[in-house]
Amino acid sequence: MKALRRSQTSSPSSSNPSSPSSSSSSSSWIHLRSALFVIASSSPASCSSSDRGNLKSPWSRRKRKHALSPQQWRRLFTPEGKLRDGGVKFLKKVRSGGVDPSIRAEVWPFLLGVYELKSSKEEREILRTQKRKEYEKLRRQCRRLLKQSDEGNKLKENFGISSHGDSGSLIEGTDSPDSEDVVSARESLSSEERSSDMEHLDNATNALLEGDAGSRRVTDPYAADSESSDSDSSEDPDISQTFPSMESQEESDRDMLSKDDSSASKAEVQSKPQTTEDFVTWQRIIRLDAVRANGEWMAYSPTQAAVSDDRARHSAEAVGLKDCDHLEPGRIFHAARLVAILEAYALYDPEIGYCQGMSDLLSPIIAVITEDHEAFWCFVGFMRKARHNFRLDEVGIRRQLNIVSKIIKSKDSHLYRHLETLQAEDCFFVYRMVVVLFRRELTFEQTLCLWEVMWADQAAIRAGIGKSAWSRIRQRAPPTEDLLLYAIAASVLQRRKQIIQKYSSMDEILRECNSMAGHLDIWKLLDDAHNLVVTLHDKIDTPF
Amino acid sequence: MDSPSSQESVGFDYLFKLLLIGDSGVGKSSLLLSFTSDSFQDLSPTIGVDFKVKYADIGGKKLKLAIWDTAGQERFRTLTSSYYRGAQGIIMVYDVTRRETFTNLSDIWAKEIDLYSTNQDCIKMLVGNKVDKESERVVMKKEGINFAREYGCLFIECSAKTRLNVQQCFEELVLKILDTPSLLAEGSKVLKKNIFKQKPPQPDTSSSSCC
Repeated sequence: MKALRRSQTSSPSSSNPSSPSSSSSSSSWIHLRSALFVIASSSPASCSSSDRGNLKSPWSRRKRKHALSPQQWRRLFTPEGKLRDGGVKFLKKVRSGGVDPSIRAEVWPFLLGVYELKSSKEEREILRTQKRKEYEKLRRQCRRLLKQSDEGNKLKENFGISSHGDSGSLIEGTDSPDSEDVVSARESLSSEERSSDMEHLDNATNALLEGDAGSRRVTDPYAADSESSDSDSSEDPDISQTFPSMESQEESDRDMLSKDDSSASKAEVQSKPQTTEDFVTWQRIIRLDAVRANGEWMAYSPTQAAVSDDRARHSAEAVGLKDCDHLEPGRIFHAARLVAILEAYALYDPEIGYCQGMSDLLSPIIAVITEDHEAFWCFVGFMRKARHNFRLDEVGIRRQLNIVSKIIKSKDSHLYRHLETLQAEDCFFVYRMVVVLFRRELTFEQTLCLWEVMWADQAAIRAGIGKSAWSRIRQRAPPTEDLLLYAIAASVLQRRKQIIQKYSSMDEILRECNSMAGHLDIWKLLDDAHNLVVTLHDKIDTPF
Repeated sequence: MDSPSSQESVGFDYLFKLLLIGDSGVGKSSLLLSFTSDSFQDLSPTIGVDFKVKYADIGGKKLKLAIWDTAGQERFRTLTSSYYRGAQGIIMVYDVTRRETFTNLSDIWAKEIDLYSTNQDCIKMLVGNKVDKESERVVMKKEGINFAREYGCLFIECSAKTRLNVQQCFEELVLKILDTPSLLAEGSKVLKKNIFKQKPPQPDTSSSSCC
């Protein structure tokens, strides 16, 4: 297996928190939370409750906490705007009960590592400006690429050939900075800034496109590397960090043929079933997926849902989104934002590019966060781990299915043997849950809560809190990178009886799993997951 | 929950496995939904594979159709390729308003069938979807016919939205399967397995490629 290179947006801090303070639990109960009890499960949980008695997971019914409230959130900060204890109390609170919807937009950048837990308000302001500019640069680059591929398509239409990327013409185009398409209504950059950005981005564009040009590649990947290291001194470390990952993509794609459908070579094109995906492909699939994004977010984000027709159409035009006239303005607006951010992400992380399912992960983020650039960096933070689900070589997904399988094997050998009989022990039936992190099985609000808890675990590990703050409480489960996988295993274990008694094929289990929507109680799921973590986290080896 | 009760599973003559393939957004899931529940709606992209069951009486036989719906993006294919295994029918779908979805069938999908399908006699069917958008059509019916002739498969144009030809699409395919003795034998083999649930499933020599 190849070593993974991640493009990190912010270096995880090695903060050394002071002694952990227990979260103050008030007794008031927030109504919202009661909405989360969608208990329809007729199936009793598999995890025996006998070993739960004295462990008291933060998610057990008896100890259930309410979400981090706006008041609590404000009180966590010092006058300089730093989290008081390095974020220990904050993370504990979120981990045990999620975040109140009214403060999600403020809280998520901390959970997702956009801001370090120990940062001051001033530091965050500086970072925010810097990150906004970085995002805007990516967007300008996207617009340029879109324009070029549109021109390419027009050319091709005349010849009646299919619209796969003609990388050659794209590369040529990037040599001349095009000043008119960098002007956007929302940007107010000085012309000086613009032109210097331009030069840097053209390098990036060239390298990216040449990387996709397959057999016609002329650029040595190491040349691209050195170019990017030059730019390390510039304000743009993230873009340059994407280059090493391209290199590794090329390795894995080495024996794949390019999909160059130019008229001259059309006849010789001999595509294998597995071909490389290029940016033009991503642009196309992103648009396809954006217009058919689930509209569940609308109830949670009424202002975005009620956006004016004009603004919606303008935003769609700005990203070149067509075929959305049948949608209401709120959905057009949402689709346009999805396109903008997903395209920027595909450039930012070309090893992953775009893969279906990523729009499922982004949609809740843009519903919560109204600024595109903030939503983008939160998405980048989310993807730092989730990107492995979408890797071309499918290593990430296999690893995770394997962990779910191990958890089930360790916890319930009877069920595991049954799965073996059905040749389903690879746990492929939880594939979708793993890829889009339960988004399809849970309601919007449930998904957000589960993700927040999961993000809090991951943030605690990033900040090194995992070892110190939780180690004393030996009975309790420490934060884990793989909380989601334990929750997935728990959802399967909750159905063990049905699976063993009724299902005689993997198909049936898959169908059961794909129809869990509306039948899950996330706190029950987390409580069960907690028990699994407590008993198994030492046994489940999770190398990455 | 819509899982069939065990009584239902006894009440059929044959079980056939059908597979839907084709580019993203051509309407595979919509076609399936249109066939299984007579409805049409905008669907989120399929992640990995999905699976629906439809009971139908076709050609005087009671049938249980297990229809697999796959994700269109190439990236999902290594894992989903194992689903070609044992399919008696494969439906290749394209969008008559997007040419590349048609050309990809010969460039990519037909090759993929050759690679992954374990069933020599498996019936293939070419389906041009979205004929309700007649004004946007770019792939002519004649081209579909030519493709079908070249690859030796069935062909139909349909609309998942208006449900035009949706029923016929699956019926034609199944009738052809019923006409093929080797496939028929497979269909009844599975049936036995389903009736005698206590029995372990038939050992499959080509075990799953994933993990």
